[in-house]
Amino acid sequence: MADTPPPYGVGIGWRPEIAGFVEGLPGLRFAEVVAESVHAHGELPPGLQVLLDRGVTVVPHGVRLSLGGAEPVDPERVTHFAAVAERLDAPLVSEHIAFVRAGGVEAGHLLPLPRTREAVDAVVANVRRVREQIPVPIALEPIAALFDWPDEELTEAQFIGEILDRSGALLLLDIANVYANARNRGTDPLELLDQLPLDRVAYVHVAGGAEHQGLYHDTHTDAVPQPVLDLVGELSARQRPPALMLERDGDYPPAAALTAELDAIARASGYPSVT
Amino acid sequence: MSGLADQQAALVAALTSGGAVPAGIDGARFEAARVALLRKRAGEVARQWPMLAAGHGTRWKLTFAEWAATRPSQGSLRDGWDLARDLAARDALPAVAAVELAEREVAWHYNGRNAPSSRRGPALRATGGAVAVQLSGRVWTLRRPS
Repeated sequence: MADTPPPYGVGIGWRPEIAGFVEGLPGLRFAEVVAESVHAHGELPPGLQVLLDRGVTVVPHGVRLSLGGAEPVDPERVTHFAAVAERLDAPLVSEHIAFVRAGGVEAGHLLPLPRTREAVDAVVANVRRVREQIPVPIALEPIAALFDWPDEELTEAQFIGEILDRSGALLLLDIANVYANARNRGTDPLELLDQLPLDRVAYVHVAGGAEHQGLYHDTHTDAVPQPVLDLVGELSARQRPPALMLERDGDYPPAAALTAELDAIARASGYPSVT
Repeated sequence: MSGLADQQAALVAALTSGGAVPAGIDGARFEAARVALLRKRAGEVARQWPMLAAGHGTRWKLTFAEWAATRPSQGSLRDGWDLARDLAARDALPAVAAVELAEREVAWHYNGRNAPSSRRGPALRATGGAVAVQLSGRVWTLRRPS
C-alpha cells in the first residue's frame, strides 16, 4: 500500500551507558527509552537529543505505570508519560501487561497478572485512563513470569487478545518473553505465536537471558541465545514486524558484541544491518 | 477491596516483606523470582552507590539481599542510603563506602522518609570514620577512615 510507512527495521533500547554506541549506528531509525528516565521538561540527555535531531524515532517505554494494578493508574505518572511522549514527538508509546505495586508497596519488578476477567477489566480501564491523556497509540507488552497464578480463566493468548481487543491497544511482542515463558512452562512458543494477533504487533523486543537452577531468567544482562533468534525468524516468516529492537539493561558487553547481536537480529528478520 | 487487589497486595507482601506465598503459587518458582528480584535490586543500588557495592566486593549481593529481604524498595538511591546508614551505625561500613556516604550526607538533605533534596546551606558530617564538608555546593573529604 502506498500510504503504509516504511518499516523501521532493527533498533535498540537507548540507555545512558551505551549512548555513544547507539549514536554511532549509521542505519538506526528506531530506538526506545525508559519513560521514567526522561525528564518531562528539563534538557534531554545529549545522546538522545542527537538521535532525535537525526530523525530517529524514539518511543517512550513505561515501566512503572502498573497498568495491571487493581487500583487506578496514578494520574501524575500518566501526566509525566504524556509529557515525555510529546517531547520525543513519539508516534506511539508502550507499557506492560503487569503490575508493579499494590497496597502502597513497590514490588520493584514487573509482576504477572492472574489471567482472569477481573484482571482484563483492570488493564482495560487503566489503558483507557492513559489514552485520555496521550493521543498516540499505546502498545502493550506481555511480560516474562517465573510463576503463574492458580485458577486462571484464560489462556495466555486469550488473555492478551481480550486486552488488545477491548482496549484498542497494539501489541509490543517481546520474543524473549515468549521463549522464556514457553520454556519455563514446558509449552510450545510457536503455538503461542500462531494464536497471537501478529497484525497488531507495533514492534518487538529481543533480549538475552540465562538459566539458573532449571529456570530461564529473562535478565537483559546476558547474550541473546540462539533459540530466541530462531523465534525472530519464525515470527518474521509469519508476519514481519515493523521494528525489532535489542533490549539490554546492564553488564554491557564490548561494542563488537552489541554489533554482532544487532546484525544477528537483522539476519533473522531479513532487515538490513544498521551497524 | 476487590479480589484482584487482595491477590496483588498479598503477592507484593510475600515478595518484599517475607509474607506467606499466596496459596496455589509454586513455592520454588516464587522463591526463584524473589531471589532474582533481590539480585536485580542489588545491581540497581550498586549503580547509585558504587563504593558501597565495591566496598563489599563479592559479598555485595548477599549483603544487600539479606538487608533488603524484608524491606520493600524505596528506590535504589534511598535503599542504598538506608543500608549505608544502618551499616555505619553498626560500625560495619567499608571505608570507601564511608567516604561516599559522608560526601552525600553533606551535599543532600535526607530524612529517611522522603526523596533526598539538595542542601541550601553548608554542612559538616562525620560518618563511619569519614568526615566531609560542603560549602556552596562544593564537597571536600576532610578525613578518610583508616
